[in-house]
Amino acid sequence: MKNFYLRLFICLLAICSAGALHGQEKIILLNEGNWQADNGKMTYFENGRVVSNQWFRDANGYKLGDTPNDIIQINDNLIAISINWSNIVQFITPEGKAVAATEDVPNNRKLATDGRYVYVSSYGHECGTEKGMMTFEKGYVAKIDVNTFKVTDAVEVGYEPEGIAYFNGYLFVANTGGYAFQEDHEYETTVSVIDAATMKVVREVDTRQINLYGKMSQSGQYLCINSPGDYYDIPAATIIFDCKAAIEGKDDDGCFQKLEYASTYNCTTTDGKFYAIGSRFSYYTSEYTFNYVVLDPAKVLESYGADGVEENFPGTVLADLKGLTMPYGIYINPYTGYIYATDAGSFAEAGALLQWSPEGKFLGRHRVYINPAHFLALPPDGHLPSGIEDIAADYLDDNTIYNLQGIRVEHPHPGQVYIRGGKKYICR
Amino acid sequence: MLPLCGYPVSAYAEKAGYSDSIHSLREVVVTSNRRPLATVQSLQGPQLQALSSTSIADALKYFAGVQIKDYGGLGGLKTINVRSLGAQHVGVYIDGIRITNAQNGTVDLGKFSLSTLESVSLFNANKLDICQSASEFASGATVYLRTRRPTSDSLSVLGAIGSFHTYRGRVNAQMSRKGWSGFIDGEYLKSKGDYKFRYKSEYEDTVGVRRNSDIEYYRVEGALFKNGFSSHLYCYVSERGVPGGIVRRLSDKYINVGREWDADWFGQASWTHRFTSAHQVLFNAKYTQEYLRYCTDYPENQNTARVNNHYWQKDVYASASYAWSPYRWLSANIGYDARHSWLKADLRNFHTVRRLDQKAVVAMQAQYAGLRLAASMLYQHYRDHTVTHTGAADPLSRFTPSVTLGYSVKGFSFRAWYKKIFRAPTLNDLYYTQVGNRNLKPEYTRQFDLGAEYNYNTSQWSASAQLDGYINSIDNRIVCLPLKGTYSWSMMNYGKTYCRGMNANVSGRYSPGDWTFSLITSLTWQRDLNRTDPESESYDKPICYSPTFSCGITGITGWRWLTMTVSALHVGERMWSYADPEDVLKPYNNIDVKLTGTWRRATASLEINDLLDEQYEHVPRYPMPGRSFTFSLSYSI
Repeated sequence: MKNFYLRLFICLLAICSAGALHGQEKIILLNEGNWQADNGKMTYFENGRVVSNQWFRDANGYKLGDTPNDIIQINDNLIAISINWSNIVQFITPEGKAVAATEDVPNNRKLATDGRYVYVSSYGHECGTEKGMMTFEKGYVAKIDVNTFKVTDAVEVGYEPEGIAYFNGYLFVANTGGYAFQEDHEYETTVSVIDAATMKVVREVDTRQINLYGKMSQSGQYLCINSPGDYYDIPAATIIFDCKAAIEGKDDDGCFQKLEYASTYNCTTTDGKFYAIGSRFSYYTSEYTFNYVVLDPAKVLESYGADGVEENFPGTVLADLKGLTMPYGIYINPYTGYIYATDAGSFAEAGALLQWSPEGKFLGRHRVYINPAHFLALPPDGHLPSGIEDIAADYLDDNTIYNLQGIRVEHPHPGQVYIRGGKKYICR
Repeated sequence: MLPLCGYPVSAYAEKAGYSDSIHSLREVVVTSNRRPLATVQSLQGPQLQALSSTSIADALKYFAGVQIKDYGGLGGLKTINVRSLGAQHVGVYIDGIRITNAQNGTVDLGKFSLSTLESVSLFNANKLDICQSASEFASGATVYLRTRRPTSDSLSVLGAIGSFHTYRGRVNAQMSRKGWSGFIDGEYLKSKGDYKFRYKSEYEDTVGVRRNSDIEYYRVEGALFKNGFSSHLYCYVSERGVPGGIVRRLSDKYINVGREWDADWFGQASWTHRFTSAHQVLFNAKYTQEYLRYCTDYPENQNTARVNNHYWQKDVYASASYAWSPYRWLSANIGYDARHSWLKADLRNFHTVRRLDQKAVVAMQAQYAGLRLAASMLYQHYRDHTVTHTGAADPLSRFTPSVTLGYSVKGFSFRAWYKKIFRAPTLNDLYYTQVGNRNLKPEYTRQFDLGAEYNYNTSQWSASAQLDGYINSIDNRIVCLPLKGTYSWSMMNYGKTYCRGMNANVSGRYSPGDWTFSLITSLTWQRDLNRTDPESESYDKPICYSPTFSCGITGITGWRWLTMTVSALHVGERMWSYADPEDVLKPYNNIDVKLTGTWRRATASLEINDLLDEQYEHVPRYPMPGRSFTFSLSYSI
């Protein structure tokens, strides 16, 4: 018995010290909850344990809202969350404290930032801006000033714009036309390119693939865009998009490569690739084709889709992913390389958060809440950005400084890794 | 009269002189009193009208084993679930003919009025008459609504005013001549439904007024009867707002603006005749047409999808049954039903769907001394025709049995029954755009019941008690789930349920002199367990929304021209997700009071619903209206 306690003590010590060793894992996870049940919840996970499954409520004394849809960090002190059915864009500190909230962007979807402004895609048709109420026939992108939390401008894009990314002064917006099934318009096939400074659409790249709906991951100049198709005649696909090519004015076909894989859940790896998992489903046959792939965007584009697709997930990740009841999200901590995935289970039960080491060693399964879907890793030292070892990013030849998310940085912090002229350097 | 034993004695109604808000109820149809074999609960004539109730859901909620799901307000969808079988396993019948909805398989009880009804009865499993149609055997539980047959000529008008800007008017003309009787009944209601609600907890204090919860409807009904012939024409036209769940918002700017229009009508006729004591026939026919429009395409809708969808349904039904009773101790029943349904909708990837649904039944009943046996075998065949994108589902044909054994001695009756039945996937389940799954299997239920009841009657006293224990299981539940690895949802067969429960009813009546006192109580205890996935943490946990305990008590006091009814209902805690112990709907107590006075030809009544003003929910974030008042005046000649 004594021996047992001793062992337990040693185990605990080992766990604590392990925690202290990798002691950099700070993950915010949004649980979407059930639609119209007002039970969106925020999980805070730190160093191998769930600190709280209602972290927002703990910090603020009130509930987060209905169906949180995306979360991003803007600067060291500010995080934005789009809470879709509550029509709220919520701003919090990295400690979870609410700072501001706006309902000027109803039916908000996904978020992007350049560190100064937050860009929000919306399925809605009106936007309360500093210039007054703006209305749009289709969907739009709104620009929120994080000093005032006011919408400074908005611009119409395609119907039901979903994924949004910022790269080198431009916004890239994946249009879905997802309401085509109910409304009187067709599915969209375009990616809108917006000049973020002027909020004007500068071009629309036609991918010839309908419904660019779902999670959109960014790796430097590359985007991984999912298309579920229509589940009837058009199967799901993935578009690997080259932002740089689009800015440089290459013709539409030179800006992307379509792959016959679904990337329903996707994320960016620390070495600049994408993990894409998903299934291609047809109502005709009621059959699935699952895929779990690692995509190297540069190779995919270079080879026109002939190369750059592998299944080399580290360690047990692939086997563990295949064992999930209902995969609902995948993520890699950009600061540490730890791998995460969520399992929504049967949807009336608490979902699960799974964690692997960067080498793919399974570390644990944690109980979270209903429909855990959207991740944000906080920088281990509290500063954005911070110590990422490696990222494929040789995309610039001017002297502008960017962080590893491709965001332009005016005032680099000493000791941090930045990209200048296509090369990494550490600011001193 | 014993409301819960099923077969009442008529004398009481006349003596008590109860009145509902319009009619003097001086007659009650007496059903021939066979000793009870089926498990039945019933509310008849005066009791039914003495209840504080606007829709059938309000009457049914006092029955044991019943769960009502109500989205709140007069316009909120109201469905009934019996012994946790699910709303689609409950058949609702008007004068023996089923109300159907081929599209979604459920009946919105809010669309039917209590005011023209003679009785509302709930049978678990089968009704067990000598001569029944095949479709009467085809649901897990059956609710029978029996239309009142007038016995005199009268014309009456009613006006009512209630909380939340509710106004109601009703006209009823009835006649009875040379064996023919009939009525025409028209009703109009308009309500803003702008009730206050409050969500208060440690982390929330949301106060608001329900918006877009208005309803306006017209209902016109006519019926004609003569002996074994009955016919009914029913028409219901409404417009209502469809409010959403109460969720966190920064202001009232973006409310749900969805609106729904319904236009439903049906005509039905039924004829039954007994040629000699040995031969009886029953013919039914019905035509139904339903139209539904749902629209969110308004200029003020700047934030959600702009939908404008129309659905049309038509349904033709006919049945023939024949019962043969060669000996006093034996009878046999055969029946055949056919129903042809059409569904049309202007959805993408959707075309007209037709369904031919045929049923045939062979049933028998036998008795020896106090011992009785009823057995039936039902055959059902479904075949769909469609040019929808995915094609029609394969035809479905199945046999399902049921057996009941009963024994009566003195005032006691004992019974045991078993029934296996399925519900076929509805047209929505199979073909709805991007959700339908034509490979669905039917959802099966198996029910075992062991029960006893006791009846005691004298001229002044009557009492009855009934107790049933049951075990139900459901296989291949039809549910909507997301498809793994996609963003799409689909109907699937997923889930098993195992339910053990107990229903008890006690009721009594005492009528000395000018007074009448009656008491109706019901109690339900059940453990309704999820047996889907042994690996899952929700295995063996209660099914969501299912209370373990609920009970109701109704007291009616009558004195000459005054009647007072007090009903109290307690429903225990229900969980609505397995994810968090906080995800529960709190237990609630609902007390309704109704006071009615009749003076000569005029009747006045005051109803108070939810006297305690408890803020409760049937569906999370869909608040119920809280306390409300209704005052009505009627006059008849």
